Amino acid sequence: MRRTRSSTVASPNVSGQAYAFMAMTPVRPGEEKPLADYLRGLRDRGPSPLAKLPRTHIGRFVIVPDFHHDPTWKQRREEHLDLNYLIFTSNFDGDLDSYLDELCERLAPEAKEIWGRCVGCPESAKGAALKRYLEHNQIKTGMFFAAYGQATVGAVKSSLRQRDKLIEFAIRAQAMEPDALQKAFLSEFDAVR
Amino acid sequence: MAASVRMDLGDIQGDILRAYGNDYDCTTYAFMKIECPPEQARAWFTGVVDHVTTAAPWPPGEKPLTTLNVSVTARGLRALGVSEEVVGSFSREFRDGMSSRSALLGDVGPSDPKSWEPGLGSGDAHILLTINAQRTSDHERALGKMKAAMDAAGGLRIVYQADTELLPGSREHFGYADGFAQPAIEGTSDDKARGGGVPLKDGEWRALAPGEFILGYPDEDTRVDPKKRLPNAPAAPLGRSGTYMVWRKLYQDVALWRRVMRDAAKLYEGGDEHTLSAKVVGRWTNGAPLVKYPDKAPASFDPQTPGGNDFRYDKDKDGMRCPLGAHIRRSNPRDALGFEGHLSFRHRMIRRGMPYGKVLPEGVTADDGEDRGLVFVSFQASISRQFEGVQVQWLNAGNIFGLGHDKDFLLGDPHGTGKMTIPGKPPFFLSPQEVFVRTRGGEYLFVPGMTALAALADGTAG
Repeated sequence: MRRTRSSTVASPNVSGQAYAFMAMTPVRPGEEKPLADYLRGLRDRGPSPLAKLPRTHIGRFVIVPDFHHDPTWKQRREEHLDLNYLIFTSNFDGDLDSYLDELCERLAPEAKEIWGRCVGCPESAKGAALKRYLEHNQIKTGMFFAAYGQATVGAVKSSLRQRDKLIEFAIRAQAMEPDALQKAFLSEFDAVR
Repeated sequence: MAASVRMDLGDIQGDILRAYGNDYDCTTYAFMKIECPPEQARAWFTGVVDHVTTAAPWPPGEKPLTTLNVSVTARGLRALGVSEEVVGSFSREFRDGMSSRSALLGDVGPSDPKSWEPGLGSGDAHILLTINAQRTSDHERALGKMKAAMDAAGGLRIVYQADTELLPGSREHFGYADGFAQPAIEGTSDDKARGGGVPLKDGEWRALAPGEFILGYPDEDTRVDPKKRLPNAPAAPLGRSGTYMVWRKLYQDVALWRRVMRDAAKLYEGGDEHTLSAKVVGRWTNGAPLVKYPDKAPASFDPQTPGGNDFRYDKDKDGMRCPLGAHIRRSNPRDALGFEGHLSFRHRMIRRGMPYGKVLPEGVTADDGEDRGLVFVSFQASISRQFEGVQVQWLNAGNIFGLGHDKDFLLGDPHGTGKMTIPGKPPFFLSPQEVFVRTRGGEYLFVPGMTALAALADGTAG
């Protein structure tokens, strides 16, 4: 395929209108297990805290304890991390600036338990100070592909509702005669026209 | 590619590579709890190990009347005195146990471990003894000997026992021929490669590497690159010739299945209940695959004859013959996922299920209150990749097949879309989906090799 040079280079963090954010922060020695336990326990404590950020498509916390060394690799020497690292990734709608504002405000209680255990995190672990911390530790995305980058979370949810409605209708309608089917369809999906 | 591997059959327990169900009519599964110190338990275990049946072929005419096989849970290893360090070398899902994986496995609602039968999933099951017998009288004698040895040893208790028996025609309770479609294994069942192995681009098939099922042997990774490590296995000597075992008691609501199929067929083309049921399963009741015989089952079809399981989905991409969500297409998609089978061939299992309970007479659609179903048994090198992969990604989800939230209509719970799409012109939406199969209990176990069993018995397993 022939490549064309563009005068404006799009941000590699952006696909359509979706943004991919990643921050990598070293975990304070001794805090590795409490952090892992806290993150693992999130699912038992009700809805994900990321639900408080409704622009989020998917968010993920990962703790990297060390590099994996495979003896069969042609690698001259083993490399190790001095500290565990916490990786936070999130794909969301819109711009990073306002998203981080929302995160640092709405996730303040959780942020204290998460980034509050990381090296260099401001003590308050919220607001503008946390935002600066996360921006400072951002890893730029090399290549971000969103399968439906133009669709916002709201649009995706609306489509899924429409799909469920159509499935339910299709099951109900399969015994109908053509005239009744048309009437029922128009009645059910009139707003679509 | 590595040269064909020679299996040390004398070190591998029986009933894994070769199905005893074909030779024995009755199987008893007895789960035991060790309530005595490890030394006392090992003294009893030594006596058990002496009678374990291996995979070594029987000389002609010397088929034993009964066979005995042994497997252990993570708690069982501890009760035999195995150190935490060695237990820690086993896979996480094995250590955690099946009941702790219930949300992942879809064991929810009526299948929730809270409703399981006592003795299963509670931590009480330590050792599983599997006894196969040719006749009921042999079976009773073997059970009697087992119980006498336990009583003599003391400190042991049977916490759960399941007695199973082959149904006429090797059928399961919904009426379908079952258990004949097994993975072909290099060095063991190469003759079953067509339909049982990995479908290749040139139309040929090849058997799977033995390490997919027996630890200590090359798996599909090491097969292509012998420099690579052997698959993850527990610390020596436990890691060689052993395999992980999944044991599940699955209740089948036969009357409900028949009623739902009968009622749904009234809206289906021709009102044909048998065709509709076959579309759900992907086979006719005699085992003939829909993808080869879409209109009618050949009366003479025998799934055991060579070529009986030899088929692909490449000419049926839209599922007009065998629906994309049919049970057998989900549980072993063969070439249906594309990429030359690379998305499916690491998720195969050896299945050794046996039915339990009396048959519900043909035509009866009211429940008679009998407990009937299937004891599902599978052997694999990795429970998470193989059994759980199939259960979670293929049976209880539809995404990979382009089926959205549809779940396997036969085994899945109805909390997805609650329907199955049967492609056609027009397509048919099979609904409502009910809970036809309920998990009544289960365990994740390890089947040690013979050397490993001896080490467990004499306390040198670490």
